[in-house]
Amino acid sequence: MLRTRLPARIWARGRLALGVGMGVGIAVVACCGTSRPAGAETAPTVEDLHQQFFESRVRPLLSTKCQECHGDGIAEAGLRLDSRQALIRGADSGPVVVPGKAAESRLLAVVRHADDIAMPPDGKLSDDDISVLETWISAGAPWSGPGGDDDTSSPAAGPVDMQRRLEDALRDHWAFQPLLRHEPPAPAPQVPPEWAHSRIDRFILAAATAAGVSPSPAASPRDLVRRVWFDLTGMPPSAAEADAFAAQPTEESYEAIVDRLLASRHHAEHWARKWLDVARYADTMGYAFDSQDKRYPFAWTYRDWVVSALAADRPYDQFITLQIAADLVVPPVPPSDLAALGFLTVGRTFLGNTNDIIDDRIDLVTRGLMGLTVACARCHDHKYEPVTTADYYALHGIFASCQIPEELPEIGPPPPGPEAAAFAATYAELRQAVTDHEAAVRSRAVREAVAHAAAYFLEVARPAVRGADKRPPRLADGYELQQLIIDKLTRLVGGQTERHPILGPWVAAASGSDAEVPSRLARLLEADAASQPAPDLNAVIRDELVSARPGSLAELAEAYARVVMRIAPDWAGGPAVAGDETDDVRAVRELLGAAGTPFVVLETEAMRVANMAEQTEFRRRQLNITKHQAEAAGGPPRAMVLVDRPQPQDSPILLRGSPSRRGDVVKRRMPMLLGGAEVGAESSGRLDLARALVAPGNPLTARMIVNWAWTHHLGGGLVPAPGDLGLRGEAPAHRELLDDLARRFMDEGGWSLRWLHREIVTSRTFRQSSAAREDLADRDPDNRLFARANRRRLDWEAWRDSMLVAADTLDRVHCGGRGVDPLAVESMSVRSIYGRLDRQDVPGLLRTFDVANPDTAVHVRVRTTVPQQSLAVLNSELVVNAARRLAARVQAEVADPARDDLRVDSLWRAALSRSPSAEERDAALAWLAAEPPSDASAFGRYERLAQAVLAVAEFQFID
Amino acid sequence: MPHDPPPDRLLSRRDALCRGGLGLGWLGAASLLDAERADAAGSGLSLAPRAPHFPARARAVIHIFANGGPSHIDTFDPKPALAAYAGREIPANLPTERRTGAALPSPFKFSRHGESGLEVSELFPSVARHADRLLVVRSMHADVPNHEPSLMLMNCGDARLVRPSAGAWVTYALGTENQNLPGFVAMCPGGYPIKESENWRSAFLPGAFQGTYVDTKKRDTADLVENVRHPVLDHDAQRRQFDLISQLDRRHLAARPHDPALEARLASMELAWRMQSEATDAFDVSREPAHVLARYGDDVQGRQMLIARRLVERGVRYVQVWHGAGQPWDSHEQIEANHRRLAGECDRAIGALLDDLVAHGMLDGTLVLWGGEFGRTPTVELPAPGTGVSEPSGRDHNHHGFTVWMAGGGVRGGTVHGATDEFGFKAVEKPVHVHDLQATMLHLLGLDHTRLTYRHSGRDFRLTDVHGRVVPELLG
Repeated sequence: MLRTRLPARIWARGRLALGVGMGVGIAVVACCGTSRPAGAETAPTVEDLHQQFFESRVRPLLSTKCQECHGDGIAEAGLRLDSRQALIRGADSGPVVVPGKAAESRLLAVVRHADDIAMPPDGKLSDDDISVLETWISAGAPWSGPGGDDDTSSPAAGPVDMQRRLEDALRDHWAFQPLLRHEPPAPAPQVPPEWAHSRIDRFILAAATAAGVSPSPAASPRDLVRRVWFDLTGMPPSAAEADAFAAQPTEESYEAIVDRLLASRHHAEHWARKWLDVARYADTMGYAFDSQDKRYPFAWTYRDWVVSALAADRPYDQFITLQIAADLVVPPVPPSDLAALGFLTVGRTFLGNTNDIIDDRIDLVTRGLMGLTVACARCHDHKYEPVTTADYYALHGIFASCQIPEELPEIGPPPPGPEAAAFAATYAELRQAVTDHEAAVRSRAVREAVAHAAAYFLEVARPAVRGADKRPPRLADGYELQQLIIDKLTRLVGGQTERHPILGPWVAAASGSDAEVPSRLARLLEADAASQPAPDLNAVIRDELVSARPGSLAELAEAYARVVMRIAPDWAGGPAVAGDETDDVRAVRELLGAAGTPFVVLETEAMRVANMAEQTEFRRRQLNITKHQAEAAGGPPRAMVLVDRPQPQDSPILLRGSPSRRGDVVKRRMPMLLGGAEVGAESSGRLDLARALVAPGNPLTARMIVNWAWTHHLGGGLVPAPGDLGLRGEAPAHRELLDDLARRFMDEGGWSLRWLHREIVTSRTFRQSSAAREDLADRDPDNRLFARANRRRLDWEAWRDSMLVAADTLDRVHCGGRGVDPLAVESMSVRSIYGRLDRQDVPGLLRTFDVANPDTAVHVRVRTTVPQQSLAVLNSELVVNAARRLAARVQAEVADPARDDLRVDSLWRAALSRSPSAEERDAALAWLAAEPPSDASAFGRYERLAQAVLAVAEFQFID
Repeated sequence: MPHDPPPDRLLSRRDALCRGGLGLGWLGAASLLDAERADAAGSGLSLAPRAPHFPARARAVIHIFANGGPSHIDTFDPKPALAAYAGREIPANLPTERRTGAALPSPFKFSRHGESGLEVSELFPSVARHADRLLVVRSMHADVPNHEPSLMLMNCGDARLVRPSAGAWVTYALGTENQNLPGFVAMCPGGYPIKESENWRSAFLPGAFQGTYVDTKKRDTADLVENVRHPVLDHDAQRRQFDLISQLDRRHLAARPHDPALEARLASMELAWRMQSEATDAFDVSREPAHVLARYGDDVQGRQMLIARRLVERGVRYVQVWHGAGQPWDSHEQIEANHRRLAGECDRAIGALLDDLVAHGMLDGTLVLWGGEFGRTPTVELPAPGTGVSEPSGRDHNHHGFTVWMAGGGVRGGTVHGATDEFGFKAVEKPVHVHDLQATMLHLLGLDHTRLTYRHSGRDFRLTDVHGRVVPELLG
C-alpha cells in the first residue's frame, strides 16, 4: 500500500515545489538578479526546483518506462529520451515534444493512448505519471545533469552511439579479434606421452590440469571404433571391422581407419546432412497458394552438390563462396557447380513476400556462416551487436538485386533412357502454355490501360487520396488503375519540361489550375506562330490540341488518351501501323506506344498487372511445369540458382521494418563490422559478400566452422552456442585452442574440412572414455573441460541408417537424385539424407527425434528424450520392417533352424557390431525357448527378438 | 525460464538425484511413479510440470477454433442499426480483403439469456444456455484482413515471422501434468487448417513442445495417435518382448552408471509402455456411456469435443479443437445457409462440453476460448472475378472488430467486454488486440507474458513480442 501511495505524495510536493519555484524565480529576477551567496540559507532558485523535480520525478520515469527502448544505442523509431537534445529532435516521424506546449507535444498523446501509437507497450502510465510529464513539458522540459544541453558526455544521436559500440566491440569482444596462432603449454613431464603430440590435447590437458582434473583414460577399442565410425559416417562398423580393430588397436590401424572413413562417400553424406541443417534445407517452399505446387523439384541438386563437394574436400572458403556466388566467380565454374546456389534458394518463400525471403537469406549468411545475428536489425539498430539497420539494408540491397530466373538452368544431360524425349516434348508444351498466358494477360492489360489512358494522366498530375489499403483508385466502370503503369508514367512525365515536343503541353498545363489550362496551352501553340523561339511541338499533338481545344486538365488528358489510342499496338486495340508514317507519328509511338512504354507493359511484367483470376491461372500453369519436373522421368537436372538482376538496386531502410515507411536509401555494402566496403555498381554484390566472409581479416567464419565441427565431434562446443559468436554469446572456455585450431585450419589445412576432422578425431581428447566420473560430476558437470567423452544418442538419420545396416537393405552405391519418402518400406535401400522433407509437414516421427527445424539455420540440434521416441521404437512400422529384414538376414546366414545359438550371435553382430556376451546369449536363448511358436504369417520369434535388439538402448547410443 | 541451453548440456533433474547417490534406485517398480512425475524428457526442457510465475487460475486451455472467421454480427454481437441501412451504404465502410457494399443485416434472431441477459443469436442455443458463464469480448481487433497472417497472429503472436505457437509456449512454461499423453494436442477433422501445422508449431522451441496433430475424422484410436499400438503383436506377446528389452537394458546400464541420458532413455521406455494404454484410453470415446455420447452427438464435432474433455481431464495442458480442414467458417457467400450449417454442426457439442466441465468441476481450472482469426464485415461482399463470389450474399473478412468468448479458467462470466461501432465494423470501446488476449490468457495460466521468454538467435523472444497488456476487466 505504501508503495502505491508514495508517488501521489511526492507528486503533490513536486507540483507545490514547482509552483513555488516559479513564483520565487520571478521574485528573484524582480528583486536583484544576483546569485545567492554560497552556503546561505536562502530559498531555492527556479533551477534548483526544476532540477529537483526533474531528478526526483521525470528522470526516474524516463529511465524506467522509456529508455529501455528509447535510449542508449537503441532508439526505437529513431527516438531517444535520454538527453534533452535528442528529446527535442524527436523521432523519425517528427518532433514529439514542444517545450512549454504540452497540448502540442505528441509524447503526451502517446502516453495518454490518444494517438495511433500507445506507449509504453507494457502498460499505460498512471495518471500521476502522465501529469508529471505534462507539468514538465509545460515548464519547458527543463533537464539537468547527464543528458542536459550542456552535457557533452552524452552523444545525442543513435548512429554516433552505434559507432562507439562498433569501436568498443572491435576492440573488446573476443570473437572480433584477429585469429592468432597460440603456442600450447608445454606438457608436464609426468603427462602420458600420447597426450604430448597433438596441440589440441596440450591445450585441453593444460586447462584440465589447471582445474585440478585429469583426463579420462582412453575408450576401449570397441567403443572407440564404433564411435569414430558413427562420428565420421553416421553408420556403425561391421562386427568384423570392430573385431579387427579390437584385435590390433594400434595407432597405425586407428589412423588408417580414420583416413579410410574420411575418404568414403558415407562420410560426405553424413556431414552433408549436418550442413543441410545449417542451410535450412527442405524440398518444399512451405506454405503455398492452392494454385501452387509447393515442391522444389530440384532442391536435391543442391543436396547432391553438398555431398559431392564434401566428398571432394572442396576447401571451405571455396565451398561457401560457391554457395553464395557460384554464378559470379572468376574463372567461371562448370554448370554443375551452379547447384551450390541452392543454399540461398531452398528456404521458405513466405507466399512470395520479398522482404521475408531476403530476411531469411540475410540470417542464413550472417548467423548461419558467421554466428552473427544481423536479422534483428531489420526493424531497429541491433540491441546488443554493433549492427545497424543501415548494415541490414545494405545487405538487403544485395539480395534485392538478385532474382530467381523463371526457368532454372540445366546442369547436366537428362538421365539416359527412353523417357527423355517425351519429357522434353511435354515440358515444351507446358512452357508454351505459360508464355501464351503471359501474352494474353499482357494484351488484355495493355488494351485496358490504353482505354483508360486519360485517367492515368490525371492520376499522375493529381493523385487521388488513397485509402488505408493504399490501393490505386478504381474508376466508375470498375477498372482499377495499375500501380506499375502509374509509376512508369510518373517517371516519364516527371523528367520533362514544357519544351518537350510531345509532353510539353501536358507539363505546362498540369502545374496550373483548370482555369489556366486554355491560356497555358494557347501560349505554347501561339508561341509557335509568333516569331519568338517556339518549342518544337510534335505535329500529332499540335493537331489534336488545335482540333480539341481542351478547356480543362481532364479534357487535355482525354486528348492525350486519343493520341495514345491512335498509336497503340494493333493487338491492344490500336490501328495497324501504316507503312508510311511520319517522323512525328513515329516519335509519339516510341514515347507512348512501344513495348516498355508506360501503357505497353512488357510480357515479363504481365503478372504485375494481372488480376486475381489471371494470377491464379498463371500459378496453375506453372504448377503443371513443377508437377511435371517433380514427377515425370527423363528430365535434365537443374540448379536452383539466384542470379543478379539486370539493374542492381540499393534498398531504402524500412523504418520499423515496415515496407510502407521508407527511410534513407543505403548503398549496397558489407556490414561495418566487416569493414563496410561498398560493392561495385554493376553487380548485386553477392561475390563481394562471399569474399568478405572468407577474407583473411574476417575471423568469424573460421571460428564458426571450427567450433561447429568440434561441437559435432565432441558433443559439446568450445563456444557453447555455435550459432552465436556475438556479444551476448558465451565466450569459449578454451579460447586459445579455438583460435589456434581455426588459424591452422586456414593456414596448414588450407580450409580443408577433412584436415579439421582428422585433427580432431586423432586427438586423445576425442578418444577418451565416456564413463561418468564422480570427481567430474561436481567440478565440471557440463563437461566444458572435455576431460571425458560425451555419451550421445544417435540422431534421426544415424538411427534409421543403423537399422538399415543391420537389416542389410542399404544400397551402398545410391547416389542421390530425387528425395524418397523416408518412412516408406520401399525406401529401405536409401540413406536418410536422401529422404524428402516437406518443411510444411515434417513427419511426426522425425520431429520426435529432433530433426532440425528447416526454417532457420540450425548449427546443432536440440536433443530431447521423450516417450514418443520409445513408442516409435516399440511400435513404428519403420522398426518393425527393419526387424523383419534383420530376422530374415540372420536366418539366411545361419540356415540350420536348430542352431539358435549361432543365430543369436549373428543377430547381435549385425545390430550391435559385436558378439553377445555369454549372459546375453543365454538370456536370448532362454527367451526364444519360452516364446510360443507363431503362425507363419505373423511376426515370428526371430522378428520379435530382432526388434528387441533394435530397441535396446545400446543400439541407439554411442559410448 | 531456462534459456536455450546448448543441446548437450541439458541436464535432467534426475541427474542431480543420481549424483546425490540415489543412482539406480528409481528403476525399481515403486519409483516409476516418481519417474513419471519428475522428468520424462531427461532434460532441462522436459514436459514435467513446472510452477507458474504466480498462482494460476487456469490449469488447462481448450481453444475452439472457428477457423475461417465466424461472423460476430450473426452470433454474439447484435447490430440492430444495420436493419435501418439494409441495402444502403453505411457511413463507415472500411477496407477489408475485398470490396463490400451495402449493409447486410443479420438474418438471425438474437435473444437474451440467463440472469446476465447476454445476447446470443439463434445459431448457438446450446452455448447460450451457459450465458452466465461466458465472457464475450466484442472489441477484438487484429492487424490485417487475410487468413494466413491473422491465423499466425492469433496462434503464434506474429503475422509473418516463424514464431512458436501459444500452446508450445504454454507447455514450454508449464510442462504437462500427464507424462503419458502429449502436452499439447491440436485436433482438426479431415486434414489441416490453412497454414497447416504452422498453427501449432514449436518454431525455435524444442520439438517436444509442438502440438501433436490428431485427425479426429478417423474413428479408430490406433489411427488417432501415432505409434500407440504394435502393428502385429498383441499385448501379451509385446509384454514378453518388452521384458527382454528391459533385461538387456538394465545390464547395459549397470555397466554405465550415472549417465542421465541413458537413464532417461530407459525411463522413457517404461513411460511409453504405459502410454500405450493411457493414450488409447484417452482418445477412445466409445468408453463413454451412451447417454454422454448422445449429448455431444455421435458426429465429428461431438467426438472431438468429448476427446477434448477427456484429454483435459487427464492432465493435458493445451487442446485446440479446429472446426475442420481449410477454413470452413469463411462465408464469403450465402452466409445465412453456411453459418446455420456450421453452427449446427458444433453448437450442441460445445454446449455439452461446457455442461461436462461444469458437472465434473473442471470449468474453474479450464479456460475455454471460442473464436476465429477475425470476424466478418457488416456489409455485403460484392461479386468479383477471381473470387468465386457470384452473388452478394456473404460477408468479407473483418479484422477491425470481432468477437471471441471465453468461459471458465478465472474469467468474469455473464459479461460483455468492449464494443464495436454501431454497425459492428470496428472495435471502438475498450479495444482488445490479439496480443492483449494472449497476455490475458497467459496471466490466467499464472504466467507473466513479459517474463515468459526464450533466448534464441541472440535475443529473448516472447509470445507477445513487445506488445500486449493484460486486460484486468476480463479477470473474474
